[in-house]
Amino acid sequence: MTKAKVNIFIFCLFFLTEANLNAQNYLTKQFDYAKKLFNNEQYFDAITEFKRLLFFDEEGTYKFEANRFIGLSYKEGAKFSDAIFYFTLAEMNAKNDDELFESKMDIIRSNILRRTTSHAIELLDLLETDKRFSQRIKEIYYWKGWAYLFSDKWDDAANYFSQTDSNKTLSTFCKEVDKNKYSSSVAELLSIFIPGSGQIYTGHYLSGLLSLSWNLLWGYVTINAFIANRVFDGLAVGNFLWLRFYNGNLQNAKNFAEEENLKIVNQALNYLQFGYNGTKP
Amino acid sequence: MKKIFISIIFLCTISFPQENNSSAINLFSPINTKKFADYLFCQHDYLRAIEEYNRYLLGTSSDSIKFRIAIAYSKMGDYKQSIDEFMEVPEKSQLSPLAKLEIMKSLFQSGNFNELRNYFNLKISNNNFNEKKEAKSLYNFSFLFTNDSLPTEHNFYNAFHSDDLNKIKKFYNWKKDPPEKKSLTAGILSAIIPGAGKIYTNQFWDGLWAFITSVGFTYLSYDNFHAGHYFRGWLFGGLAVGFYAGNVYGSAASAQIYNAKIHFDFVNDLKDFLESHNYFIPVINFCK
Repeated sequence: MTKAKVNIFIFCLFFLTEANLNAQNYLTKQFDYAKKLFNNEQYFDAITEFKRLLFFDEEGTYKFEANRFIGLSYKEGAKFSDAIFYFTLAEMNAKNDDELFESKMDIIRSNILRRTTSHAIELLDLLETDKRFSQRIKEIYYWKGWAYLFSDKWDDAANYFSQTDSNKTLSTFCKEVDKNKYSSSVAELLSIFIPGSGQIYTGHYLSGLLSLSWNLLWGYVTINAFIANRVFDGLAVGNFLWLRFYNGNLQNAKNFAEEENLKIVNQALNYLQFGYNGTKP
Repeated sequence: MKKIFISIIFLCTISFPQENNSSAINLFSPINTKKFADYLFCQHDYLRAIEEYNRYLLGTSSDSIKFRIAIAYSKMGDYKQSIDEFMEVPEKSQLSPLAKLEIMKSLFQSGNFNELRNYFNLKISNNNFNEKKEAKSLYNFSFLFTNDSLPTEHNFYNAFHSDDLNKIKKFYNWKKDPPEKKSLTAGILSAIIPGAGKIYTNQFWDGLWAFITSVGFTYLSYDNFHAGHYFRGWLFGGLAVGFYAGNVYGSAASAQIYNAKIHFDFVNDLKDFLESHNYFIPVINFCK
């Protein structure tokens, strides 16, 4: 090969490389632009620009990043199902174990926020058994804690949080919430033996006393009818009045316990949303 | 030298698509904006597709794009905006007849049946319009959704294709004479025989239960008064009156619930039929 030939070959090679780099450069610029929109919390526009990037990125260089950022943008807009769809696409295009783990975690966190916590727990169970992520077991436990917390299983949440070094605060907090909650089975059980006592247990004294009075009245009328050998009367009053008030009392006790628990849980979640500074779903 | 020359040409043919793809490199060029908008449209991301189409229209004018924007608004359920956009399609455009049909569809979907009929009478019925039959189908169908008097059978049926005629006749007859239950009849029946009104509204077991409770408590009341147990007599009497009155009121309400249900089912059937026939409008697939 003469010197002239070599020079021409090098020129062409340079020409090709330059053209390729130029195209890459535009994609990088587009990625930076979309990311800037995301950082400025302009999520709608960020999604558009990441989608544009994906559309023109024929080689799929940004498939993981763009899909992940689209997912994150949808998540910020509380569109969790859309977010999970794009996180799944990111997961499919993960280039290494770290990216795979991150995208799986994104899916799990969106599931927690979407309140499909049982699915989040299933996914976390799978991650726990995956040997590739054995180094990140504490992180898995941390999110398991959050998944159980959102499933209203505060005791389980406390157990998982206690296994992560830095989060004794969360563990203590969950234990406290669990302790403050009323047991709906205890409320119901109390009302089985003494009508109205379940309501009194949950702090609804007037309702409890009213329930007790109605049950005493209809119980007395029913028993009185049986004593007077008027079985049919006893059955009618017992079935249509006493049993109805008695069942209502059981249901009421359970409902009051659940209502009070809801208040406690909402207060706790409110604290976690606005008062807790650690990593949240 | 010849070989070198061929090599250069070969390398350049490889590199040129990259360079010619400068349109692909400038992601915001009109052609790329349109490509991206088409992609978003076919992904059902209509809001973003509209934004991109509008950006594209800044530098050019296209009836087809205006039409797609209108379709996108319609798909998003923004019928007012959709109608405004369809109005933008010029009369001379090939898409104009379809745009008119789409306007009727949007008016239909937004429940503006009077406006739909006015539009049909003003813009379509007296004009030379090839898709008049489709428009007339939608026009006639609108009478099934309102309480306005129906067109005559002949006038109503002739707008539809013969394949659909059996179904259309069924809808027409239902609308003409809906199988409703009368509240007053149900109430009177239950006042005469407790529970009969419920049975009249197809609630057999409720009716039977109402009969047993009303009669049972009346008997218990009578029996207790007779035996000198006045407390229980009043108690059962009160229950009997309560059950009786509740049953009369419940029967009248049950007739109303029954009517609401059959009307709800009828409207759902109509909507399913319309959806399956794309509101009698020819389907254009923009996403082949």
